[in-house]
Amino acid sequence: MTGQSSYVLTSMDRIMNWARANSLWPLAFGTSCCAIEMMMSSMASRHDLSRFGAEVVRPTPRQADLLILAGTIVKRMAKPLRVLYEQMPEPRYVIATGACTISGGPFTYNSYTTVRGADEIIPVDVFVPGCPPRPEALIYGIMTLQKMIKTGEAYGQPYQRRRPITAALPPGMTQAQLQKEIAEFLEAHATIDVDKAAHNNRWEKERY
Amino acid sequence: MSLEIRTLSEIMNPPQTADSPLSTQEYFVNMGPQHPATHGVLRLVLKMDGETIREVIPVLGYIHRSIEKMAEYLHGRQIVHLTDRMDYLSALANNWAVSRAVETAMGVQTNPRIETIRTLICELQRVQSHQLWWGVLGLDLGALTSFFYGFRDREEITDILEETTGARLTMNYIQPGGLMFDLHPNFVPRVKAFIKYFRPKLDEYETLLSENVILQERLRNVGVLSAEDAIGYGATGPVLRASGIPLDLRKQQPYGVYDQVEFSVPVGTVGDCWDRYWIRIEEMRQSLGIIEQLIDNIPDGKFMEMKPAAKLKLPAGSFYLQIETARGSLGVFLQGTGEDIPHRCHFRSPNFNNLWSVTKTAVGGKIADLVAIVSTLDLVIPDVDR
Ligand code: SF4
Repeated sequence: MTGQSSYVLTSMDRIMNWARANSLWPLAFGTSCCAIEMMMSSMASRHDLSRFGAEVVRPTPRQADLLILAGTIVKRMAKPLRVLYEQMPEPRYVIATGACTISGGPFTYNSYTTVRGADEIIPVDVFVPGCPPRPEALIYGIMTLQKMIKTGEAYGQPYQRRRPITAALPPGMTQAQLQKEIAEFLEAHATIDVDKAAHNNRWEKERY
Repeated sequence: MSLEIRTLSEIMNPPQTADSPLSTQEYFVNMGPQHPATHGVLRLVLKMDGETIREVIPVLGYIHRSIEKMAEYLHGRQIVHLTDRMDYLSALANNWAVSRAVETAMGVQTNPRIETIRTLICELQRVQSHQLWWGVLGLDLGALTSFFYGFRDREEITDILEETTGARLTMNYIQPGGLMFDLHPNFVPRVKAFIKYFRPKLDEYETLLSENVILQERLRNVGVLSAEDAIGYGATGPVLRASGIPLDLRKQQPYGVYDQVEFSVPVGTVGDCWDRYWIRIEEMRQSLGIIEQLIDNIPDGKFMEMKPAAKLKLPAGSFYLQIETARGSLGVFLQGTGEDIPHRCHFRSPNFNNLWSVTKTAVGGKIADLVAIVSTLDLVIPDVDR
Protein backbone atom coordinates (compact mmCIF):
# COMPACT_ATOMS: atom_id res chain seq x y z
CA MET A 1 0.00 0.00 0.00
CA THR A 2 2.65 2.50 0.96
CA GLY A 3 5.05 1.22 -1.68
CA GLN A 4 8.07 2.82 -0.09
CA SER A 5 9.51 0.52 2.53
CA SER A 6 12.78 1.69 3.92
CA TYR A 7 14.35 -1.73 3.77
CA VAL A 8 14.69 -4.64 1.41
CA LEU A 9 12.67 -7.73 2.16
CA THR A 10 15.16 -10.57 2.47
CA SER A 11 14.21 -14.19 2.34
CA MET A 12 14.79 -14.37 6.09
CA ASP A 13 12.21 -11.63 6.55
CA ARG A 14 9.87 -13.53 4.33
CA ILE A 15 10.11 -16.62 6.52
CA MET A 16 9.64 -14.57 9.67
CA ASN A 17 6.66 -12.77 8.22
CA TRP A 18 5.13 -16.06 7.19
CA ALA A 19 5.57 -17.42 10.69
CA ARG A 20 4.20 -14.28 12.32
CA ALA A 21 1.17 -14.15 10.09
CA ASN A 22 0.16 -17.69 10.93
CA SER A 23 0.55 -17.54 14.68
CA LEU A 24 -1.23 -14.41 15.82
CA TRP A 25 -2.10 -14.40 19.49
CA PRO A 26 -4.98 -12.02 20.11
CA LEU A 27 -5.53 -10.14 23.33
CA ALA A 28 -9.02 -10.48 24.78
CA PHE A 29 -10.13 -6.89 24.83
CA GLY A 30 -13.86 -6.53 24.43
CA THR A 31 -15.55 -3.45 25.75
CA SER A 32 -19.09 -3.87 24.50
CA CYS A 33 -21.44 -5.44 21.98
CA CYS A 34 -18.83 -6.27 19.34
CA ALA A 35 -17.09 -8.48 21.91
CA ILE A 36 -19.91 -11.00 21.73
CA GLU A 37 -19.45 -11.40 18.00
CA MET A 38 -15.71 -11.60 18.55
CA MET A 39 -16.26 -14.43 21.01
CA MET A 40 -18.61 -16.09 18.56
CA SER A 41 -15.96 -16.03 15.87
CA SER A 42 -12.80 -16.61 17.83
CA MET A 43 -13.68 -19.33 20.26
CA ALA A 44 -17.08 -20.82 19.49
CA SER A 45 -17.23 -23.89 17.38
CA ARG A 46 -19.03 -22.77 14.24
CA HIS A 47 -16.67 -20.05 13.04
CA ASP A 48 -13.51 -21.67 14.24
CA LEU A 49 -10.74 -19.11 14.13
CA SER A 50 -8.08 -21.71 14.84
CA ARG A 51 -8.33 -22.69 11.19
CA PHE A 52 -6.42 -19.47 10.55
CA GLY A 53 -4.04 -19.79 13.46
CA ALA A 54 -5.35 -16.92 15.55
CA GLU A 55 -7.41 -18.50 18.31
CA VAL A 56 -5.03 -18.49 21.30
CA VAL A 57 -6.77 -15.64 23.10
CA ARG A 58 -4.55 -14.32 25.87
CA PRO A 59 -5.82 -12.38 28.83
CA THR A 60 -2.58 -10.45 29.30
CA PRO A 61 -1.00 -8.02 26.83
CA ARG A 62 2.47 -9.36 27.58
CA GLN A 63 1.74 -12.55 25.71
CA ALA A 64 -0.31 -11.18 22.84
CA ASP A 65 0.69 -9.60 19.57
CA LEU A 66 -2.71 -8.84 18.06
CA LEU A 67 -5.08 -6.38 19.69
CA ILE A 68 -8.65 -6.92 18.52
CA LEU A 69 -10.53 -3.82 19.57
CA ALA A 70 -14.13 -4.90 19.98
CA GLY A 71 -16.45 -2.20 21.09
CA THR A 72 -16.80 1.47 21.82
CA ILE A 73 -13.82 3.33 23.26
CA VAL A 74 -14.80 6.11 25.61
CA LYS A 75 -12.56 8.85 26.86
CA ARG A 76 -12.05 7.23 30.23
CA MET A 77 -10.88 4.01 28.56
CA ALA A 78 -8.48 5.81 26.22
CA LYS A 79 -5.55 5.90 28.61
CA PRO A 80 -5.77 2.27 29.77
CA LEU A 81 -6.04 1.27 26.10
CA ARG A 82 -2.89 3.15 25.21
CA VAL A 83 -1.13 1.51 28.17
CA LEU A 84 -2.31 -1.91 27.02
CA TYR A 85 -0.98 -1.23 23.56
CA GLU A 86 2.38 -0.10 24.90
CA GLN A 87 2.62 -3.24 27.01
CA MET A 88 2.34 -5.54 24.03
CA PRO A 89 5.65 -6.76 22.63
CA GLU A 90 6.77 -5.73 19.15
CA PRO A 91 5.78 -6.47 16.46
CA ARG A 92 2.16 -5.76 17.35
CA TYR A 93 -0.86 -5.44 15.18
CA VAL A 94 -4.26 -3.88 15.76
CA ILE A 95 -7.60 -4.84 14.23
CA ALA A 96 -10.46 -2.49 15.08
CA THR A 97 -13.91 -4.03 14.64
CA GLY A 98 -17.18 -2.21 14.49
CA ALA A 99 -18.44 1.17 13.51
CA CYS A 100 -17.63 2.50 16.98
CA THR A 101 -13.90 2.02 16.60
CA ILE A 102 -13.94 3.49 13.10
CA SER A 103 -15.83 6.69 13.72
CA GLY A 104 -17.84 6.48 16.93
CA GLY A 105 -20.58 4.59 15.11
CA PRO A 106 -24.03 5.10 16.61
CA PHE A 107 -22.43 7.30 19.27
CA THR A 108 -20.90 9.84 16.91
CA TYR A 109 -23.42 12.61 17.44
CA ASN A 110 -24.41 14.22 20.73
CA SER A 111 -22.30 11.91 22.85
CA TYR A 112 -19.93 13.64 25.22
CA THR A 113 -17.78 10.65 26.05
CA THR A 114 -17.12 8.57 22.96
CA VAL A 115 -13.76 8.64 21.20
CA ARG A 116 -14.49 9.14 17.51
CA GLY A 117 -12.28 6.46 16.04
CA ALA A 118 -9.77 4.28 17.83
CA ASP A 119 -7.00 5.42 15.52
CA GLU A 120 -6.94 8.67 17.45
CA ILE A 121 -5.33 6.73 20.28
CA ILE A 122 -3.37 3.87 18.79
CA PRO A 123 -2.29 3.01 15.25
CA VAL A 124 -4.77 0.64 13.62
CA ASP A 125 -3.82 -1.79 10.86
CA VAL A 126 -7.20 -3.08 9.73
CA PHE A 127 -10.71 -1.78 10.25
CA VAL A 128 -13.59 -4.20 10.04
CA PRO A 129 -16.87 -2.37 9.39
CA GLY A 130 -20.22 -3.44 10.76
CA CYS A 131 -22.36 -2.93 13.82
CA PRO A 132 -21.39 -5.52 14.93
CA PRO A 133 -19.40 -7.15 12.13
CA ARG A 134 -20.43 -10.71 11.43
CA PRO A 135 -17.93 -13.36 12.50
CA GLU A 136 -17.14 -13.94 8.85
CA ALA A 137 -16.21 -10.28 8.50
CA LEU A 138 -13.84 -10.48 11.44
CA ILE A 139 -12.25 -13.60 10.00
CA TYR A 140 -11.86 -11.75 6.72
CA GLY A 141 -10.24 -8.88 8.59
CA ILE A 142 -7.76 -11.25 10.19
CA MET A 143 -6.99 -12.79 6.82
CA THR A 144 -6.41 -9.30 5.43
CA LEU A 145 -3.96 -8.61 8.22
CA GLN A 146 -2.21 -11.89 7.54
CA LYS A 147 -1.85 -10.96 3.91
CA MET A 148 -0.41 -7.61 4.95
CA ILE A 149 2.07 -9.21 7.29
CA LYS A 150 3.14 -11.75 4.70
CA THR A 151 3.86 -9.08 2.15
CA GLY A 152 5.78 -7.06 4.70
CA GLU A 153 3.16 -4.36 4.86
CA ALA A 154 2.55 -4.44 8.59
CA TYR A 155 6.08 -5.48 9.42
CA GLY A 156 6.90 -3.78 12.68
CA GLN A 157 8.34 -0.37 12.05
CA PRO A 158 7.91 1.01 15.51
CA TYR A 159 6.60 4.53 15.94
CA GLN A 160 5.82 4.92 12.29
CA ARG A 161 2.18 5.75 11.76
CA ARG A 162 0.56 3.57 9.12
CA ARG A 163 -2.63 4.26 7.28
CA PRO A 164 -5.31 1.78 8.31
CA ILE A 165 -7.12 -0.17 5.64
CA THR A 166 -10.70 -1.34 5.70
CA ALA A 167 -11.43 -5.01 5.24
CA ALA A 168 -14.47 -6.15 3.25
CA LEU A 169 -14.86 -3.24 0.88
CA PRO A 170 -17.39 -3.75 -1.88
CA PRO A 171 -15.77 -5.15 -5.03
CA GLY A 172 -14.21 -2.55 -7.28
CA MET A 173 -14.14 0.02 -4.50
CA THR A 174 -11.11 1.57 -2.88
CA GLN A 175 -10.84 3.27 0.45
CA ALA A 176 -10.03 6.63 -1.12
CA GLN A 177 -13.07 6.39 -3.37
CA LEU A 178 -15.28 5.63 -0.39
CA GLN A 179 -13.94 8.50 1.66
CA LYS A 180 -14.41 10.86 -1.27
CA GLU A 181 -17.99 9.71 -1.69
CA ILE A 182 -18.77 10.22 1.99
CA ALA A 183 -17.16 13.65 1.92
CA GLU A 184 -19.21 14.63 -1.12
CA PHE A 185 -22.38 13.33 0.47
CA LEU A 186 -21.74 15.27 3.66
CA GLU A 187 -20.91 18.35 1.61
CA ALA A 188 -24.18 18.13 -0.25
CA HIS A 189 -26.45 17.22 2.63
CA ALA A 190 -24.94 18.55 5.80
CA THR A 191 -25.26 22.25 5.11
CA ILE A 192 -28.05 23.79 7.09
CA ASP A 193 -29.72 27.05 6.32
CA VAL A 194 -29.89 28.25 9.90
CA ASP A 195 -32.61 30.83 9.32
CA LYS A 196 -34.86 28.46 7.50
CA ALA A 197 -34.27 25.58 9.87
CA ALA A 198 -35.11 27.75 12.83
CA HIS A 199 -38.43 28.89 11.40
CA ASN A 200 -39.81 25.82 9.75
CA ASN A 201 -38.62 22.33 10.31
CA ARG A 202 -37.60 21.76 6.72
CA TRP A 203 -35.70 18.57 7.36
CA GLU A 204 -38.74 16.99 8.94
CA LYS A 205 -40.95 17.84 5.99
CA GLU A 206 -38.54 16.46 3.48
CA ARG A 207 -38.15 13.31 5.40
CA TYR A 208 -41.75 12.55 6.23
CA MET B 1 -27.11 -0.75 55.89
CA SER B 2 -25.18 2.28 56.94
CA LEU B 3 -24.40 4.80 54.29
CA GLU B 4 -20.85 6.08 54.27
CA ILE B 5 -19.55 8.32 51.53
CA ARG B 6 -15.82 8.35 50.89
CA THR B 7 -13.83 9.23 47.85
CA LEU B 8 -11.69 6.61 46.19
CA SER B 9 -8.44 8.32 47.19
CA GLU B 10 -9.53 8.33 50.83
CA ILE B 11 -10.07 4.61 50.68
CA MET B 12 -6.84 3.91 48.85
CA ASN B 13 -4.73 6.01 51.26
CA PRO B 14 -6.07 5.24 54.72
CA PRO B 15 -4.67 7.26 57.62
CA GLN B 16 -1.65 5.62 59.23
CA THR B 17 -2.37 3.83 62.46
CA ALA B 18 -0.01 2.25 64.94
CA ASP B 19 0.26 -1.42 63.98
CA SER B 20 0.75 -4.17 66.47
CA PRO B 21 3.72 -6.32 65.49
CA LEU B 22 1.52 -9.30 64.60
CA SER B 23 -1.03 -7.54 62.43
CA THR B 24 -1.06 -8.28 58.74
CA GLN B 25 -0.86 -5.55 56.19
CA GLU B 26 -3.79 -4.66 54.04
CA TYR B 27 -3.15 -3.96 50.41
CA PHE B 28 -5.07 -3.16 47.25
CA VAL B 29 -5.52 -5.20 44.13
CA ASN B 30 -6.89 -3.71 40.96
CA MET B 31 -9.14 -6.06 39.04
CA GLY B 32 -9.87 -4.65 35.63
CA PRO B 33 -10.73 -2.63 33.62
CA GLN B 34 -9.18 -5.14 31.24
CA HIS B 35 -9.76 -8.45 32.94
CA PRO B 36 -11.26 -11.57 31.37
CA ALA B 37 -13.38 -12.45 34.39
CA THR B 38 -15.14 -9.13 34.75
CA HIS B 39 -17.05 -9.56 31.47
CA GLY B 40 -16.01 -6.33 29.89
CA VAL B 41 -14.49 -3.24 31.36
CA LEU B 42 -15.64 -3.35 34.95
CA ARG B 43 -12.99 -2.26 37.42
CA LEU B 44 -13.07 -3.63 40.94
CA VAL B 45 -10.67 -2.26 43.51
CA LEU B 46 -10.16 -4.94 46.14
CA LYS B 47 -8.92 -4.29 49.64
CA MET B 48 -7.16 -7.50 50.55
CA ASP B 49 -5.86 -9.02 53.74
CA GLY B 50 -3.74 -11.89 52.57
CA GLU B 51 -6.06 -13.86 50.33
CA THR B 52 -9.22 -12.59 52.00
CA ILE B 53 -11.25 -9.75 50.56
CA ARG B 54 -12.03 -7.00 53.05
CA GLU B 55 -13.72 -4.55 50.74
CA VAL B 56 -14.85 -4.34 47.14
CA ILE B 57 -15.12 -0.98 45.44
CA PRO B 58 -16.61 -1.04 41.93
CA VAL B 59 -15.31 1.80 39.76
CA LEU B 60 -17.51 2.62 36.82
CA GLY B 61 -17.38 4.77 33.73
CA TYR B 62 -15.07 2.86 31.44
CA ILE B 63 -17.85 2.31 28.91
CA HIS B 64 -20.12 5.24 29.69
CA ARG B 65 -21.46 6.19 26.25
CA SER B 66 -23.92 8.87 27.37
CA ILE B 67 -26.94 7.07 25.97
CA GLU B 68 -29.36 8.97 28.20
CA LYS B 69 -28.07 12.32 26.98
CA MET B 70 -28.19 11.19 23.37
CA ALA B 71 -31.81 10.11 23.82
CA GLU B 72 -32.73 13.74 24.52
CA TYR B 73 -31.97 14.55 20.91
CA LEU B 74 -33.84 11.65 19.35
CA HIS B 75 -37.45 10.82 18.51
CA GLY B 76 -39.25 8.01 20.27
CA ARG B 77 -38.64 5.71 17.37
CA GLN B 78 -34.96 6.54 17.16
CA ILE B 79 -34.25 5.88 20.83
CA VAL B 80 -34.97 2.20 20.23
CA HIS B 81 -31.74 1.58 18.39
CA LEU B 82 -29.69 2.92 21.30
CA THR B 83 -31.28 0.48 23.71
CA ASP B 84 -29.94 -2.42 21.63
CA ARG B 85 -26.49 -1.36 22.63
CA MET B 86 -27.20 -1.10 26.35
CA ASP B 87 -27.88 -4.69 27.27
CA TYR B 88 -27.01 -6.33 24.00
CA LEU B 89 -27.74 -9.83 25.26
CA SER B 90 -31.42 -9.02 25.68
CA ALA B 91 -31.70 -6.38 22.99
CA LEU B 92 -35.29 -7.25 22.13
CA ALA B 93 -36.50 -6.83 25.70
CA ASN B 94 -34.83 -3.42 25.79
CA ASN B 95 -36.54 -2.47 22.52
CA TRP B 96 -39.80 -3.57 24.00
CA ALA B 97 -39.36 -1.48 27.13
CA VAL B 98 -38.89 1.74 25.19
CA SER B 99 -41.60 0.88 22.70
CA ARG B 100 -44.06 0.21 25.48
CA ALA B 101 -43.15 3.45 27.21
CA VAL B 102 -43.76 5.42 24.02
CA GLU B 103 -46.97 3.51 23.31
CA THR B 104 -48.27 4.09 26.82
CA ALA B 105 -47.41 7.76 26.62
CA MET B 106 -49.18 8.19 23.29
CA GLY B 107 -52.06 5.84 24.07
CA VAL B 108 -51.45 3.52 21.14
CA GLN B 109 -53.12 0.12 21.19
CA THR B 110 -51.41 -2.88 19.65
CA ASN B 111 -53.09 -5.99 18.36
CA PRO B 112 -52.72 -9.54 19.77
CA ARG B 113 -50.43 -10.64 16.94
CA ILE B 114 -47.87 -8.02 17.79
CA GLU B 115 -47.98 -8.84 21.49
CA THR B 116 -47.69 -12.58 20.86
CA ILE B 117 -44.72 -12.21 18.57
CA ARG B 118 -43.04 -9.86 21.02
CA THR B 119 -43.50 -12.31 23.88
CA LEU B 120 -42.33 -15.22 21.79
CA ILE B 121 -39.23 -13.57 20.47
CA CYS B 122 -38.24 -12.15 23.87
CA GLU B 123 -38.50 -15.58 25.46
CA LEU B 124 -36.28 -16.95 22.70
CA GLN B 125 -33.76 -14.33 23.53
CA ARG B 126 -33.98 -15.04 27.24
CA VAL B 127 -32.95 -18.61 26.47
CA GLN B 128 -30.15 -17.32 24.25
CA SER B 129 -28.90 -14.96 26.92
CA HIS B 130 -28.87 -17.68 29.57
CA GLN B 131 -27.02 -20.00 27.21
CA LEU B 132 -24.25 -17.47 26.86
CA TRP B 133 -24.17 -16.94 30.61
CA TRP B 134 -23.91 -20.67 31.18
CA GLY B 135 -21.05 -21.02 28.76
CA VAL B 136 -19.14 -18.11 30.18
CA LEU B 137 -19.70 -19.27 33.76
CA GLY B 138 -17.95 -22.51 32.90
CA LEU B 139 -15.14 -20.58 31.28
CA ASP B 140 -14.69 -18.35 34.32
CA LEU B 141 -14.51 -21.34 36.63
CA GLY B 142 -12.05 -23.13 34.36
CA ALA B 143 -14.20 -25.49 32.29
CA LEU B 144 -13.82 -24.72 28.61
CA THR B 145 -16.26 -27.35 27.33
CA SER B 146 -19.35 -25.58 28.59
CA PHE B 147 -18.31 -22.56 26.56
CA PHE B 148 -18.34 -24.56 23.36
CA TYR B 149 -21.69 -26.16 24.20
CA GLY B 150 -23.36 -22.90 25.13
CA PHE B 151 -22.14 -21.07 22.06
CA ARG B 152 -23.00 -23.92 19.74
CA ASP B 153 -26.62 -23.84 20.86
CA ARG B 154 -26.67 -20.06 20.94
CA GLU B 155 -25.87 -20.02 17.23
CA GLU B 156 -29.10 -21.90 16.53
CA ILE B 157 -31.21 -19.15 18.08
CA THR B 158 -29.07 -16.45 16.48
CA ASP B 159 -29.87 -17.98 13.10
CA ILE B 160 -33.60 -18.01 13.78
CA LEU B 161 -33.60 -14.43 15.00
CA GLU B 162 -31.41 -13.29 12.13
CA GLU B 163 -33.87 -14.62 9.60
CA THR B 164 -36.71 -12.61 11.07
CA THR B 165 -34.99 -9.49 12.36
CA GLY B 166 -32.14 -9.18 9.89
CA ALA B 167 -29.42 -8.87 12.51
CA ARG B 168 -27.49 -11.18 14.74
CA LEU B 169 -27.06 -9.06 17.83
CA THR B 170 -28.37 -5.52 17.65
CA MET B 171 -31.81 -6.22 16.28
CA ASN B 172 -33.81 -3.02 16.54
CA TYR B 173 -36.88 -5.12 15.82
CA ILE B 174 -39.60 -4.09 18.24
CA GLN B 175 -40.76 -0.59 17.40
CA PRO B 176 -43.28 1.76 18.99
CA GLY B 177 -46.58 0.65 17.52
CA GLY B 178 -45.52 -2.78 16.37
CA LEU B 179 -42.67 -4.60 14.77
CA MET B 180 -40.14 -3.72 12.11
CA PHE B 181 -40.98 -6.67 9.85
CA ASP B 182 -43.41 -9.54 9.85
CA LEU B 183 -42.30 -12.99 10.94
CA HIS B 184 -40.24 -14.92 8.44
CA PRO B 185 -42.16 -17.94 7.09
CA ASN B 186 -39.41 -20.20 8.37
CA PHE B 187 -39.77 -18.92 11.91
CA VAL B 188 -42.40 -21.30 13.23
CA PRO B 189 -40.93 -24.57 11.87
CA ARG B 190 -37.43 -23.60 12.90
CA VAL B 191 -38.43 -22.67 16.44
CA LYS B 192 -40.23 -26.00 16.77
CA ALA B 193 -37.15 -27.82 15.52
CA PHE B 194 -35.02 -25.85 17.94
CA ILE B 195 -37.15 -26.77 20.94
CA LYS B 196 -36.95 -30.41 19.98
CA TYR B 197 -33.20 -30.06 19.65
CA PHE B 198 -32.59 -28.06 22.78
CA ARG B 199 -34.62 -29.93 25.41
CA PRO B 200 -32.26 -32.93 25.51
CA LYS B 201 -29.32 -30.55 25.30
CA LEU B 202 -30.50 -28.82 28.45
CA ASP B 203 -30.40 -32.14 30.27
CA GLU B 204 -26.91 -32.56 28.90
CA TYR B 205 -25.96 -29.20 30.39
CA GLU B 206 -27.08 -30.49 33.75
CA THR B 207 -25.04 -33.65 33.40
CA LEU B 208 -22.00 -31.75 32.28
CA LEU B 209 -21.88 -28.92 34.77
CA SER B 210 -24.62 -29.02 37.38
CA GLU B 211 -23.79 -32.49 38.59
CA ASN B 212 -20.12 -31.73 38.70
CA VAL B 213 -18.83 -31.88 42.28
CA ILE B 214 -16.19 -29.21 41.69
CA LEU B 215 -18.77 -26.76 40.38
CA GLN B 216 -21.11 -27.44 43.27
CA GLU B 217 -18.31 -26.95 45.78
CA ARG B 218 -17.40 -23.66 44.17
CA LEU B 219 -20.94 -22.34 44.05
CA ARG B 220 -22.67 -23.65 47.14
CA ASN B 221 -22.73 -21.25 50.12
CA VAL B 222 -20.57 -18.78 48.22
CA GLY B 223 -21.70 -15.19 47.93
CA VAL B 224 -24.81 -15.51 50.05
CA LEU B 225 -27.13 -12.54 49.55
CA SER B 226 -29.90 -12.32 52.12
CA ALA B 227 -33.38 -11.24 51.12
CA GLU B 228 -33.11 -7.93 53.00
CA ASP B 229 -29.82 -7.08 51.37
CA ALA B 230 -31.13 -8.02 47.95
CA ILE B 231 -34.04 -5.64 48.40
CA GLY B 232 -31.77 -3.03 49.92
CA TYR B 233 -29.47 -3.04 46.94
CA GLY B 234 -32.41 -2.99 44.55
CA ALA B 235 -31.43 -6.28 42.95
CA THR B 236 -33.91 -7.74 40.50
CA GLY B 237 -34.25 -10.72 38.24
CA PRO B 238 -32.63 -14.05 39.04
CA VAL B 239 -30.40 -12.41 41.66
CA LEU B 240 -33.40 -11.30 43.70
CA ARG B 241 -35.34 -14.51 43.10
CA ALA B 242 -32.38 -16.57 44.29
CA SER B 243 -32.69 -14.82 47.62
CA GLY B 244 -36.20 -16.14 47.99
CA ILE B 245 -38.36 -13.28 46.77
CA PRO B 246 -40.68 -14.34 43.95
CA LEU B 247 -40.74 -11.01 42.15
CA ASP B 248 -41.11 -11.46 38.43
CA LEU B 249 -42.79 -8.67 36.51
CA ARG B 250 -44.07 -11.20 34.01
CA LYS B 251 -46.29 -12.52 36.83
CA GLN B 252 -46.82 -9.45 38.99
CA GLN B 253 -47.55 -6.88 36.28
CA PRO B 254 -48.22 -9.01 33.21
CA TYR B 255 -47.53 -7.38 29.89
CA GLY B 256 -47.56 -8.86 26.42
CA VAL B 257 -49.44 -12.14 26.61
CA TYR B 258 -47.77 -13.41 29.76
CA ASP B 259 -51.15 -13.51 31.49
CA GLN B 260 -52.39 -16.08 28.97
CA VAL B 261 -49.56 -18.58 29.30
CA GLU B 262 -48.67 -20.89 32.12
CA PHE B 263 -45.26 -20.81 33.63
CA SER B 264 -43.78 -20.87 37.08
CA VAL B 265 -41.19 -18.61 38.64
CA PRO B 266 -38.30 -20.53 40.18
CA VAL B 267 -37.29 -19.16 43.57
CA GLY B 268 -34.18 -19.94 45.57
CA THR B 269 -33.87 -20.46 49.30
CA VAL B 270 -30.32 -19.56 50.31
CA GLY B 271 -29.34 -16.80 47.91
CA ASP B 272 -25.93 -18.23 47.12
CA CYS B 273 -24.27 -18.67 43.74
CA TRP B 274 -25.73 -22.13 43.35
CA ASP B 275 -29.28 -20.78 43.65
CA ARG B 276 -28.59 -18.18 41.01
CA TYR B 277 -27.13 -20.87 38.77
CA TRP B 278 -30.03 -23.22 39.24
CA ILE B 279 -32.64 -20.52 38.74
CA ARG B 280 -31.26 -19.56 35.34
CA ILE B 281 -31.19 -23.19 34.19
CA GLU B 282 -34.78 -23.59 35.33
CA GLU B 283 -35.80 -20.34 33.64
CA MET B 284 -34.57 -21.74 30.35
CA ARG B 285 -36.98 -24.66 30.81
CA GLN B 286 -39.85 -22.32 31.64
CA SER B 287 -39.10 -20.14 28.64
CA LEU B 288 -39.12 -23.16 26.37
CA GLY B 289 -42.52 -24.03 27.84
CA ILE B 290 -43.84 -20.53 27.10
CA ILE B 291 -42.57 -20.73 23.53
CA GLU B 292 -44.20 -24.14 23.10
CA GLN B 293 -47.55 -22.77 24.25
CA LEU B 294 -47.42 -19.78 21.93
CA ILE B 295 -45.79 -21.05 18.79
CA ASP B 296 -48.94 -22.68 17.39
CA ASN B 297 -51.26 -19.88 18.46
CA ILE B 298 -49.95 -16.78 16.72
CA PRO B 299 -53.07 -14.81 15.79
CA ASP B 300 -53.41 -13.09 12.43
CA GLY B 301 -53.25 -9.37 12.04
CA LYS B 302 -51.09 -6.46 11.12
CA PHE B 303 -47.53 -6.28 12.36
CA MET B 304 -47.51 -2.49 12.61
CA GLU B 305 -50.28 -0.37 14.04
CA MET B 306 -48.83 3.05 13.38
CA LYS B 307 -47.94 4.65 10.11
CA PRO B 308 -44.19 4.22 9.88
CA ALA B 309 -43.82 7.79 8.74
CA ALA B 310 -46.01 9.25 11.44
CA LYS B 311 -44.33 11.68 13.77
CA LEU B 312 -44.37 10.53 17.37
CA LYS B 313 -45.42 13.36 19.64
CA LEU B 314 -44.83 12.60 23.29
CA PRO B 315 -47.55 14.28 25.36
CA ALA B 316 -46.53 16.41 28.30
CA GLY B 317 -45.93 14.47 31.47
CA SER B 318 -43.74 11.77 32.94
CA PHE B 319 -44.03 8.11 32.03
CA TYR B 320 -42.33 5.21 33.77
CA LEU B 321 -42.55 1.61 32.74
CA GLN B 322 -40.78 -1.61 33.68
CA ILE B 323 -40.34 -4.92 31.99
CA GLU B 324 -38.48 -8.07 32.94
CA THR B 325 -35.40 -8.70 30.84
CA ALA B 326 -33.15 -11.71 31.23
CA ARG B 327 -31.24 -9.89 33.97
CA GLY B 328 -33.97 -8.17 35.93
CA SER B 329 -36.39 -5.34 35.59
CA LEU B 330 -35.51 -2.60 33.18
CA GLY B 331 -37.29 0.66 33.80
CA VAL B 332 -37.72 3.41 31.25
CA PHE B 333 -38.55 6.93 32.34
CA LEU B 334 -39.63 9.40 29.68
CA GLN B 335 -40.55 13.00 30.26
CA GLY B 336 -42.42 14.51 27.36
CA THR B 337 -43.17 18.15 26.73
CA GLY B 338 -45.55 17.80 23.82
CA GLU B 339 -42.71 17.73 21.30
CA ASP B 340 -41.34 14.77 19.46
CA ILE B 341 -38.13 14.49 21.47
CA PRO B 342 -38.25 13.69 25.19
CA HIS B 343 -37.13 16.30 27.66
CA ARG B 344 -35.44 13.64 29.78
CA CYS B 345 -34.93 9.94 29.31
CA HIS B 346 -33.68 7.68 32.05
CA PHE B 347 -33.05 3.95 32.14
CA ARG B 348 -33.16 2.04 35.39
CA SER B 349 -30.91 -0.79 34.39
CA PRO B 350 -31.01 -4.10 36.27
CA ASN B 351 -27.27 -4.67 36.06
CA PHE B 352 -26.38 -1.49 37.91
CA ASN B 353 -28.26 -2.52 41.03
CA ASN B 354 -27.26 -6.17 40.77
CA LEU B 355 -23.61 -5.14 40.59
CA TRP B 356 -23.65 -3.36 43.96
CA SER B 357 -24.65 -6.52 45.78
CA VAL B 358 -21.08 -7.67 45.19
CA THR B 359 -19.86 -5.12 47.73
CA LYS B 360 -21.68 -7.17 50.36
CA THR B 361 -21.44 -10.74 49.17
CA ALA B 362 -17.76 -10.91 48.26
CA VAL B 363 -16.47 -9.52 51.56
CA GLY B 364 -14.78 -12.19 53.63
CA GLY B 365 -14.31 -14.52 50.68
CA LYS B 366 -11.40 -15.24 48.39
CA ILE B 367 -10.65 -13.79 44.97
CA ALA B 368 -11.63 -17.05 43.31
CA ASP B 369 -15.03 -16.74 44.96
CA LEU B 370 -15.35 -13.20 43.67
CA VAL B 371 -14.98 -14.54 40.13
CA ALA B 372 -17.79 -17.01 40.76
CA ILE B 373 -19.99 -14.31 42.29
CA VAL B 374 -19.47 -11.81 39.46
CA SER B 375 -20.11 -14.57 36.98
CA THR B 376 -23.39 -15.64 38.54
CA LEU B 377 -24.57 -12.03 38.71
CA ASP B 378 -24.48 -12.16 34.89
CA LEU B 379 -23.38 -8.58 34.40
CA VAL B 380 -23.38 -6.70 31.12
CA ILE B 381 -21.15 -3.72 31.76
CA PRO B 382 -22.42 -1.36 29.01
CA ASP B 383 -25.80 -1.65 30.70
CA VAL B 384 -24.27 -0.65 34.04
CA ASP B 385 -22.61 2.44 32.60
CA ARG B 386 -24.99 3.20 29.73
S1 SF4 C 1 -20.05 -0.96 16.44
FE1 SF4 C 1 -22.16 -1.38 17.07
S2 SF4 C 1 -22.07 -3.43 17.94
FE2 SF4 C 1 -19.97 -2.68 17.87
S3 SF4 C 1 -19.60 -1.75 19.86
FE3 SF4 C 1 -20.32 -0.12 18.51
S4 SF4 C 1 -22.53 -0.07 18.85
FE4 SF4 C 1 -21.80 -2.03 19.64
